[in-house]
Amino acid sequence: MSALSRLPGRTNQNRSQTIRRGAAETALPYAMVAPLLVFIGALALYPTIKTAYAAFVHDNALVPPTHFAGFSNFQDVFNNAQVRASLLNTGIYVVFGVVLSVGLGILFGLLLQRRFRGRGIVLALMVLPWALPGVVEGVIWSWIYDPTFGVLNATLKTAGVIHNYQLWLGTHQLETIFFISLVQVWQITPLAAILVLASLQSIPSELYEAADVDGANGWHAIKRITLPLIRPGIAIAVVEGLVMSLNIFDQVYVLNAGASTGSSLMSETYQITFGNLNFGDGYALSLMATVTTIALSLLAVKIIYRKVEY
Amino acid sequence: MRRSRLRWLRPIGIAVVLLWSLFPVYWALNTSLQTNAEAQSNPPTWFPTHLQFSNYEAIFGVGPSSASTAGGVGQALLNSSIESLGATILTLVIAVVGAYAFARLRFRLRGALFYLVLATLTLPVYATLIPIYQILTTTHLVNTYIGIIFVYTSGFLPLAMWIMYNMFQALPASIEEAAAIDGATTLQIFRRIVLPIVRPGMAAAAIITFLFGWGQFIFPLVLSSTNATQPLTVALSALAGRHVVPYTMINAGAIVAIAVPALIVFFLNRFIVDGIVAGSVK
Repeated sequence: MSALSRLPGRTNQNRSQTIRRGAAETALPYAMVAPLLVFIGALALYPTIKTAYAAFVHDNALVPPTHFAGFSNFQDVFNNAQVRASLLNTGIYVVFGVVLSVGLGILFGLLLQRRFRGRGIVLALMVLPWALPGVVEGVIWSWIYDPTFGVLNATLKTAGVIHNYQLWLGTHQLETIFFISLVQVWQITPLAAILVLASLQSIPSELYEAADVDGANGWHAIKRITLPLIRPGIAIAVVEGLVMSLNIFDQVYVLNAGASTGSSLMSETYQITFGNLNFGDGYALSLMATVTTIALSLLAVKIIYRKVEY
Repeated sequence: MRRSRLRWLRPIGIAVVLLWSLFPVYWALNTSLQTNAEAQSNPPTWFPTHLQFSNYEAIFGVGPSSASTAGGVGQALLNSSIESLGATILTLVIAVVGAYAFARLRFRLRGALFYLVLATLTLPVYATLIPIYQILTTTHLVNTYIGIIFVYTSGFLPLAMWIMYNMFQALPASIEEAAAIDGATTLQIFRRIVLPIVRPGMAAAAIITFLFGWGQFIFPLVLSSTNATQPLTVALSALAGRHVVPYTMINAGAIVAIAVPALIVFFLNRFIVDGIVAGSVK
């Protein structure tokens, strides 16, 4: 790290040439990071501090004036049945999102672990859903889920799984959340699969050969060798899934027609802030969600992530 | 070798992976090429029987079926392109320069500033959405390209910086040391020697940044209330939310929004996988 600046005699050489060049070289690192710091400071750090503060300020366009209000915004949001519903929903989104995306990610990773002809193309096609906008995915899946003309209903009815066309969204809470979550899982599974694949590729093949010699079967090799060694990859996939599902909005915005059936914390925050213009309550929800997201991410990393040694 | 008994499962598994990954996109494409009657037939029309592009003509506002219900997709496509490209260029320039300073130069507060930038990588949308809306309102940057580009840039910078930082760290310092002994200045070393070497890393960071920009929804939803700056994501959700636009047209709009990232994934996939790995596994 920074081997350049440790080069013997370099600073002296600069000094002996011209003082101006020395000063420029000293100022250079600051000039190079300055734009980065300006953007991060103005549009990431300052807003975060603002959120932490404004959560304790009463700021409602319909009920002025704005004033410091202690914890009253938090009381407001916890007394709001819609918010409580969205909190529960978000918990379910997180469970579905993390379990399904990481589970499928591991499965996809194991399937694509070994080289075969056309593997590169399969990988490229598998990554596609990750690269598409969440909203657009919500739009194309809403047509698949359509209660009258949807291909899901048509296929399941032909296969004899259902007798009548179903309303997949908006009637039952769990069903609605599952089908909205599935769209997000479709989007983030490729990321989990790539992270798992990257970990898999660092496992030396001698380990499998040794297990083979010892007579271990396929499942044992996966359980005893593969899964423990890809923990770092899984940890990151869990955190990604956690953050994405805690923040689920795009898919909900497009697919959740029936108000609180499938509402998420983010869609509720959006509604309260930009629909009801109650910025104080919106800030309180935002602060809670921010703290929860960061805390759960750190916790997940602590539990799952362990340095592996071969 | 191992697991030979289960070998036959692999091709089936891979076929399922491909079906799962591609079917929804195929279905949107299929629907977008059909007439309304075909799209609503039962059993479903699995393949478009005769190609017709009236849905695409309608959403771009040309041809006979262009009604006031749709249209405006052309402007939204332009907006998406300007905002995503603008943010990509700005992010890349700032991130590459900053990451090099953090990776190779020595200065006071380097560690603290580095972790400060990196820490914002963990910030969820919640932390910044409402204040950013208020900042852009007071600075009159709502409904402007520059406002959206600045917001995207601030959001994408930490990841791009982190990817580039890892790329710089992976370079052997000996090349730069040799150049320094020959009397090259830091800036000369950076521009003439280091930048050409890390071009693949820059491509990875640029492509991932562009895809993030293309997919943005809640920020432009809040920050652009008029057609003049709304990207495709916002325009498409508005189109779908009106409940009068036929699904064949909405799917045509979706395919327009899908086409750009799909081409990138297909032709530049190598950089994407490299970028994801460089940005996460450390």
